[in-house]
Amino acid sequence: MSSQLPLDELSLVFARLKGLLLTEEKVDRAVQLLAEAAKDAIPGTSGAGVSLLNDQGRRTSRGATDAIVEQADVVQYELGEGPCLTAWASDETVVVEDVASDGRWPLWSQAVASLPVRSVVSTPLRTETGSLGALKIYAAVPSVYDAGTGLLLEKFAMPAATLLANIQGRETPQRISEALIAALAGRDSINRACGVLMERENLGAEEAMQELLRLARTQKSPLHQLSADLVQAASAGGKPGPG
Amino acid sequence: MQFGNPEKQQAEFLHAAMHQAGISTGDLWLRYFSLGGSASEYETDAYVQGIFRLPEVQRDLLAQAANELIDELPPPPRAPYSEDFLPGGARDPLQSDRRNYPPA
Repeated sequence: MSSQLPLDELSLVFARLKGLLLTEEKVDRAVQLLAEAAKDAIPGTSGAGVSLLNDQGRRTSRGATDAIVEQADVVQYELGEGPCLTAWASDETVVVEDVASDGRWPLWSQAVASLPVRSVVSTPLRTETGSLGALKIYAAVPSVYDAGTGLLLEKFAMPAATLLANIQGRETPQRISEALIAALAGRDSINRACGVLMERENLGAEEAMQELLRLARTQKSPLHQLSADLVQAASAGGKPGPG
Repeated sequence: MQFGNPEKQQAEFLHAAMHQAGISTGDLWLRYFSLGGSASEYETDAYVQGIFRLPEVQRDLLAQAANELIDELPPPPRAPYSEDFLPGGARDPLQSDRRNYPPA
């Protein structure tokens, strides 16, 4: 039964109804504000950006303070190399003195050579279960940042990552799916038991539910257990069950 | 004790039981939904707060859901006896990993 249900979609609807997930627009807005705050907070910074990545290193969400940051970023994910991907993959803060002379990402350095991007710091958005992505700042001239800037950006990234992890826990949809499957299966089982009682005792739907609740009380049995027993007894030969 | 509207009292005592057991409206509603309940989480919350009326069978399904959750809670911890602290006992201080040994 469960495999035929559109569970991914149902799970998302269900999770939103229960307030467990925010919409994509809200995540994008949070990420955008984080980028703006980082830019304002760190002296000499001309632009800042945030990328959220999935397990495979693909971007799922982004925020940037200006088009230059966005451009430098797009190239990074197209080429599959750059300071943010390194920060994300190694779980370490990356400080770049001068993009033009740093040899770690030759393709990326070449691709952004025409952009006013010379100093970079990128730090992973760390959570208990792994890295969600990276927060980075750019400056137009070389040698603007040092290790101290890295530490400052890390302080910035830590609470942000915790908040973002709660917005978009990777395991949330999975957990919701399981809860939803169990809840729907439970409703099925109880409806079948009500059907058995309606047939056997000649009751209406509401009376059958009331009778089921009464049986659960007198037998001190959880409703799901009682329903499963009733249905099993009925299918085993239609004999009157307990009651 | 005041004897008022029994419907309202049913909601009030449900609220008190949930509070005592630490059950959230969300948890209550999920169990109630899985038992075949038809009110929304929003309506359920309003009912628990005493500002929304539900039909009898829905009220009783909520009571059933709450009681099942309460029955599933772990019992409160019991006080240990002196012998539990002796070597090999349930609370032997030398046992570094505190596995839950049954009292000897």
